[in-house]
Amino acid sequence: MSDHSTTSEWYKNPAEREVLKTDLLTLNMGPQHPATHGVLRVEIKTDSEIVVEAIPHIGYLHRCMEKHCEGLDYRGIIPYTDRMDYLGAMGMEWGYALTLEKMLGTEVPQRAEYIRVLVAELQRIASHLMFFGTYAIDLGAFSPFLYAFQDRETILRIFEELSGARLLYNYIWIGGVWNDITDGQLRRITKFCEEMSESLKKYHALVGENHIFVGRTANVGMMSKELCFDHGATGPILRGSGVNWDLRKNRTYGLYKDLDFDIIVGEGIKGQVGDCWDRYWVRMQEMHESIKIIKQCLDGIEEGPIIGKVPKVIKIPEGEIYMRTECPRGELGYHLISNGGKTPYRLKVKSSCFTHVGLLPEVAKGQMIADFVATIGSIDIVLGEVDR
Amino acid sequence: MHNELAQLINSNVSGSNAEHVARENGDDVLFISSEHILRVCTFLKSAQGYEFNVLQVVTGCDYTDRIEVSYILASFINNLELILKTKLLKENKDHTPELESVCSVWEAANYQERECFDMLGVCFKNHPDPRRILCPDDWEGYPLRKDYVPAEKYNGMVINPEHKINREEIFFGEKLKREAVDPKKISYSWKKPEYFPDGVPESTESE
Amino acid sequence: MDMTNVNPHEDTLTFKKWFQNVWRGFSTAIKGMGITFKYVYSVKPVTIEYPEVREELPKNSRSRLFNDVQNCISCHMCATACPVDCIYITAERREKDAPKLKTSDGTAIRLDLKQYTIDTALCCYCGLCTTVCPTQCLTHTTDYEYAAYTVDSMKYDYTSPEIVAWRERLVK
Repeated sequence: MSDHSTTSEWYKNPAEREVLKTDLLTLNMGPQHPATHGVLRVEIKTDSEIVVEAIPHIGYLHRCMEKHCEGLDYRGIIPYTDRMDYLGAMGMEWGYALTLEKMLGTEVPQRAEYIRVLVAELQRIASHLMFFGTYAIDLGAFSPFLYAFQDRETILRIFEELSGARLLYNYIWIGGVWNDITDGQLRRITKFCEEMSESLKKYHALVGENHIFVGRTANVGMMSKELCFDHGATGPILRGSGVNWDLRKNRTYGLYKDLDFDIIVGEGIKGQVGDCWDRYWVRMQEMHESIKIIKQCLDGIEEGPIIGKVPKVIKIPEGEIYMRTECPRGELGYHLISNGGKTPYRLKVKSSCFTHVGLLPEVAKGQMIADFVATIGSIDIVLGEVDR
Repeated sequence: MHNELAQLINSNVSGSNAEHVARENGDDVLFISSEHILRVCTFLKSAQGYEFNVLQVVTGCDYTDRIEVSYILASFINNLELILKTKLLKENKDHTPELESVCSVWEAANYQERECFDMLGVCFKNHPDPRRILCPDDWEGYPLRKDYVPAEKYNGMVINPEHKINREEIFFGEKLKREAVDPKKISYSWKKPEYFPDGVPESTESE
Repeated sequence: MDMTNVNPHEDTLTFKKWFQNVWRGFSTAIKGMGITFKYVYSVKPVTIEYPEVREELPKNSRSRLFNDVQNCISCHMCATACPVDCIYITAERREKDAPKLKTSDGTAIRLDLKQYTIDTALCCYCGLCTTVCPTQCLTHTTDYEYAAYTVDSMKYDYTSPEIVAWRERLVK
């Protein structure tokens, strides 16, 4: 990234760089660094304040969930999927449930489908709010974090009443959902949606329009379309780079084909397409779209059963399947190989965050350390999903 | 789609032996011979009408005699998905079969292949950074192989020390069985035999 | 051209641009401060003072597990469903001539429960065990304050008298 804005003049000139050459300093960022969002360690080789090379070291949270799954029955895996992306657990469960339902040929009742979309979109808002808060903290603003958590708390409270847990829900089951949603909860979600649209505008004015924030994020950490495709980046990162791609529309699942919403694509409003500000903006606008989806679900939801016909002991017929869903952080894929038994023969999870970590060394080259922090934050990784 | 694609690969990459395997449940699979993986991938990335521009996953599955490595490709241009598989023979527990790296085709392969090496012990030739990724660098064995035996010690530290395993409850059932007049009457939930490799220790009886 | 699109590093910095930059930084910060001040005076406190004020959890909150051993038929369903294998049950078949026992919903008890232990330190609170329980004797309660000093004391044997005594307090 030679045209990187924050790269100093002398760094761009190779001849001058050779004259001024000093030894590279190795700096360890993490694993206990607040800006790395978990236990990510990035080994940075710095030339004064410029990152020459960044090597991510992952695996601190590795639990080998895929090996665990080989010894568990299909229902028992759902709590494990929760623990991958603990900030977007509903999406993880849904992807897994969809994989099995496709193999089993289970019909999911209409009401359950509505509830699934509802909770998945609420989860998306909660997850993006978490991004909003922590990203502001990364860049030195503290109060947005508190405001974001206040709204997130409302969502978590609804989830707690719905499923019984605040983060690791085990709510979306194979064939449907666990508990039914009550009218009171639906009314609360309606009220929340109205408040949320107002708050989001406020948040954007508070952080997104702030000149200091724009200065820290615009033209920083550019990821071009080609880079994203080459590295397999998905989700808000790909959309932030100006690619109109959302699995909810392009490879639709659940009820999304009947719902009306837009795909938000980064436009480079404050800087260039694919910079940190664009990724931030895509996530903020996605929350508005999520609210739009939730409102349609609240209108459409009807009475009925919440769980379809599923055998008591689930045995998946022999075969394999790859199923992708759009989670808050990108595409989540489950590759299930079954040999007809009660446990999966092999369950591979394609996590988007893992791919995104692979993107970091490429983007980091030639950045300032402070900009690198902004870039890590804008990728919004959850280490539970990276290490699995 | 798979049949035409198999023909297309066969006619463009000689010797790749692309074979379409239809499955009753789930997705169809395309098998190719392992020597030509790089050429097939290079071809698929630019194949007219397919253009698999994104590599989603490189993963594998261990069967006792072979490892099947799957490359899951996606085309964001034509909205397609393909599971490309190749078989590698595995001779014994520590044998690491070799395969050509596809890092030159998609950058995403870098991390995916490292994970595949880490978990299944598939060596990728010409990989720019052939290290383990999730496990520590000095870890022994490949965890996702079916014949993997969990390590007992790592760097001199005991993994899963006894005081962390709930032995008392296991032995409670055993003790009751021994004391009972008719041991057949006793049943208990913790039945995994691997937790009693050399019988129940006597020490628990003294309580 | 919009000023925000101008990269200060790439462009020559004129006096006008410098002042524009400062003004922009100042005005947007003031706007943000306005929003923050609104929060100071218009939002009710959202936190609670924990030891004095305690949060009432929702009814189906998944907190401490409780097994009502009088209604347990020792079917081992919960132990089978548990993904982390943290339930240990030991049961003995009842003698044929022993007096017949029944649970509160009328299911005959054919096994004598010798011990029913849950290792709460290992439990992942997924709730799968409660959903398979045929007599609904195993339930999640809303009791959440049970931190312990040792891992050993996190194992609860629900047949022991002091834990049976929790019934009054926990089961509603």
